[in-house]
Amino acid sequence: MDHDAPEAHEAHSAAPSRTSRRALLGLGIGGAAVSLLPLLTGRAHASAATTTAPPKRPTADDTELLGAAQQVELAAVALYDSAIAGVSGWTAAQAAVMFTFRDAHLAYANSLSALLGRTAPGTAAASVISSYRGEFGGDPASVCGASWSLESAAVATHGDILGLLQGVEGAALVASIQIAEARHCTVLADLAGLTDTASLLVDDEEAPLAVNG
Amino acid sequence: MNHDITSARIDRRHLFRVGGLTLGAAALLAACAENEYTGPLGRVGNGPDTPTLQDPVLDDSVLLRTAASIELSIAAAYDTLAEKGWLSGSTTYASLGDQSELVATFAAHHRAAADTFNSLAVEAGGEAWTCANPRLDSAFIDVIVTRVESGAEATDSAKAIEASDDAGRDAIHLVNTLEELSAETCQALVAQVTQASMRKASMAIGVRSARQAAYTALLVNPGGYVMPEAAAAAQPATPAPTTVPPTPAVNENGVPLTEIPLPVAVPSQFGSLAPITYIGGNGDENGVRLKLNFETPSLNSFVYPFDTCA
Repeated sequence: MDHDAPEAHEAHSAAPSRTSRRALLGLGIGGAAVSLLPLLTGRAHASAATTTAPPKRPTADDTELLGAAQQVELAAVALYDSAIAGVSGWTAAQAAVMFTFRDAHLAYANSLSALLGRTAPGTAAASVISSYRGEFGGDPASVCGASWSLESAAVATHGDILGLLQGVEGAALVASIQIAEARHCTVLADLAGLTDTASLLVDDEEAPLAVNG
Repeated sequence: MNHDITSARIDRRHLFRVGGLTLGAAALLAACAENEYTGPLGRVGNGPDTPTLQDPVLDDSVLLRTAASIELSIAAAYDTLAEKGWLSGSTTYASLGDQSELVATFAAHHRAAADTFNSLAVEAGGEAWTCANPRLDSAFIDVIVTRVESGAEATDSAKAIEASDDAGRDAIHLVNTLEELSAETCQALVAQVTQASMRKASMAIGVRSARQAAYTALLVNPGGYVMPEAAAAAQPATPAPTTVPPTPAVNENGVPLTEIPLPVAVPSQFGSLAPITYIGGNGDENGVRLKLNFETPSLNSFVYPFDTCA
């Protein structure tokens, strides 16, 4: 209402005298409907503006992709286990990181297993283990370097998987794994004694892992 | 003369009967009367009309251009920190050194990220958003910059707060916080957008931001790789290292100032979407510093189609 329009004010003030209870009740119900209208139309707009909502649960194709992701994580667990058991001379900081990252990869595999249920492969990717087994020996610094490479490759693999997944739950889980593994790279580069920002921030991501068997 | 006065007497029963008949007749007349009214509802007094809210469309393009706005806010914040010279060092972290060049590369990353998000928003049918996020700027970044630079003026109930005791410390913590925010925003987007290609592009940005967050954490806290609790849980046979809590800083009256926790490179096992706590600036008369929780974009920070760059 315009504050500078007294005649309009008078007209509005006179209106109640011509409005009965029935009219008020009718207007009240109508008002309630009108007040809900923005909510309803808002919903309608949201659904109309977006394309088809993606499925929440993994599709059949998603199941294969998430299974591959789980195999990568189990391969990482196996490689960290072999380094922890086979390499000596860890500093306290290196040991803490190796154990913590090993546990993290196991947690990622378990989470994927929980999402997939009985269709989860539950086995490590033999191709990944065979590719990295030789590098996960030697001195602690070189193992940190190899772990950096493995984590970067895992980040790239999960990125590719994200580009194909349809189900929201699987995508959200893979994203939460990928972003944690990205941080692993920076930590491992620092532990390996790398000081250039290109290595610490991984300017050049490793190639995605091939998951066979 | 004998008058019969019983017919003239009005007893209580009679009153009830007459009253009921009157009310019933009035209700009948009211119901039968012409009561059509199609004009506006009457109102008493002057006041503004009920505002018509804009249509809050929330689709892929809104989500993506909001992400672009967050990235642009972060880049602008870094420019501000550099202009004020707060990235040249810290008295608290003597080994930190000048981080202006590093943060400039971070800013370039965020500007490129904004371009990517805007391209995706346009592909999704929306318009690009080429300025900062108004909510993030006004409620968080501007507040921090003002507190660090000028403190706060006295009010009726509180004494004035002085400018920061270490602007360099507050600046590098803000950089770490904003990198965390960028990473979380990208991760949160994965569950919100509808296309797999958008998720992948978002996470490519988020991965870089997460690494930048980890790197700044290590600059501030060398050797702070993982949370001590996580390391202890992963090595149950190894006794957890005993840490001596740092002596809290005190203000001129000897009141301890709020402790500023050191960030770690990997703060959680999975990527977190939890609020990110920023603590900085000088303490008030009770030693309490400014504390803000940064969160991923939500209803009041989305950049809707009806919003325009100021």
